[in-house]
Amino acid sequence: MVVVIGFEGSANKIGVGIIQDGVVLSNPRRTYITPPGQGFLPRDTAKHHQGCVLQVLKEALDQAKLNPNDIDAVAYTKGPGMGAPLVSTALVARTVAQLWNKPIIGVNHCIGHIEMGRLITGSDNPTVLYVSGGNTQVIAYSQRRYRIFGETIDIAVGNCLDRFARVLKLSNDPSPGYNIEQMAKKGTKYFELPYTVKGMDVSFSGLLSYIEERVPQILKKGEYSPEDLCFSLQETVFAMLVEITERAMAHCGSQEVLIVGGVGCNERLQEMMGKMAEERGATLFATDMRFCIDNGAMIAQAGWEMFKSGQITPLEETWCTQRYRTDEVEVTWR
Amino acid sequence: MQHKNSMEEVDEERSLTMDLSVPFSSIREAEIAYRTLSVDKEPKRGGVKKTFTLNEKVLQIHFQAKEARTLRVSVNSFLDHLTLVTQTIEQFGPPVDT
Repeated sequence: MVVVIGFEGSANKIGVGIIQDGVVLSNPRRTYITPPGQGFLPRDTAKHHQGCVLQVLKEALDQAKLNPNDIDAVAYTKGPGMGAPLVSTALVARTVAQLWNKPIIGVNHCIGHIEMGRLITGSDNPTVLYVSGGNTQVIAYSQRRYRIFGETIDIAVGNCLDRFARVLKLSNDPSPGYNIEQMAKKGTKYFELPYTVKGMDVSFSGLLSYIEERVPQILKKGEYSPEDLCFSLQETVFAMLVEITERAMAHCGSQEVLIVGGVGCNERLQEMMGKMAEERGATLFATDMRFCIDNGAMIAQAGWEMFKSGQITPLEETWCTQRYRTDEVEVTWR
Repeated sequence: MQHKNSMEEVDEERSLTMDLSVPFSSIREAEIAYRTLSVDKEPKRGGVKKTFTLNEKVLQIHFQAKEARTLRVSVNSFLDHLTLVTQTIEQFGPPVDT
């Protein structure tokens, strides 16, 4: 039996999760929610995490009904993400690893999402669409690496959605993307937006400025409602993502597609991806908010795989890095 | 035990300095705090040098900077980190025997 505790704090969520051989024993988290119209800034987010990480850690241990001596290893997010929140979380991981005398493992956040998705859905070798507020990548496994087939060349799809939500002054509770999704369900009229797929890559910044510039006028004229705009934005960006994912699947001859990351819990995206998969005779795998959105258990799960295959990080090397590509990690467990 | 934490050399004579002494309740706890806090590098362009010295139960930190502004940022964030580490030790310690 191997038990790993994982610490995640690379963006506005702080989570601590405990995994015992593929079973999630606990996975509490807190989200730093900013007022409508505002994004989250590194310093304030770090303060938020510092203020509640120990409470979340206590909950994780209590819910799992474990003592620190039942734990075999401590995993934390090394990157990618925002520097200050990453460091705040890593400090606690380093401290408890020493207090409890356990090995520590630095985990790539993207790998955490992929491994959690594989664990929860039971998919074996899927083409992965990883979509969140900070990342947009199409990934497939080959020869000990998760290879990036396509990605955004500017901002992440979740960042595009978040910033559009700010223009409409939508609430950030529970998340801007969730509120866009609810509004989009009531939208009917499609407002044409730039569709930007460049080979295997996508771009969202031009599309975002295009819609940002036009929103005040469109709404004043009353041609389109805010609901219509949410609907149009979702349809456009999700179509782009489905297109590059399909191309990666065709290239790899893959019969499985897995959606991970915070935007992955959007049911419209899942529906569109499901349709594409169905037409190809492939299977769609997706998870819900508990595991799609950043959480501690995903870091514990990737840490568990790394630990079992003999990877640990010397304490002096447990620094954090804002940039850390998915394909930098050697996959020693597959 | 000494640990230099900056790539950049700062001219000692023309720089601002600040010294901090943090006492812990045991040598082991001081060591844990030292090993936790000395991992993260100062931002390269911040122009701040941070040097750790561990003296039994006391962790000493020497800050050296070109500007008061960067010194303040560095010391502020260090104190936040120190508080977090101390609270973690209080709530999830004491350290197990090694």
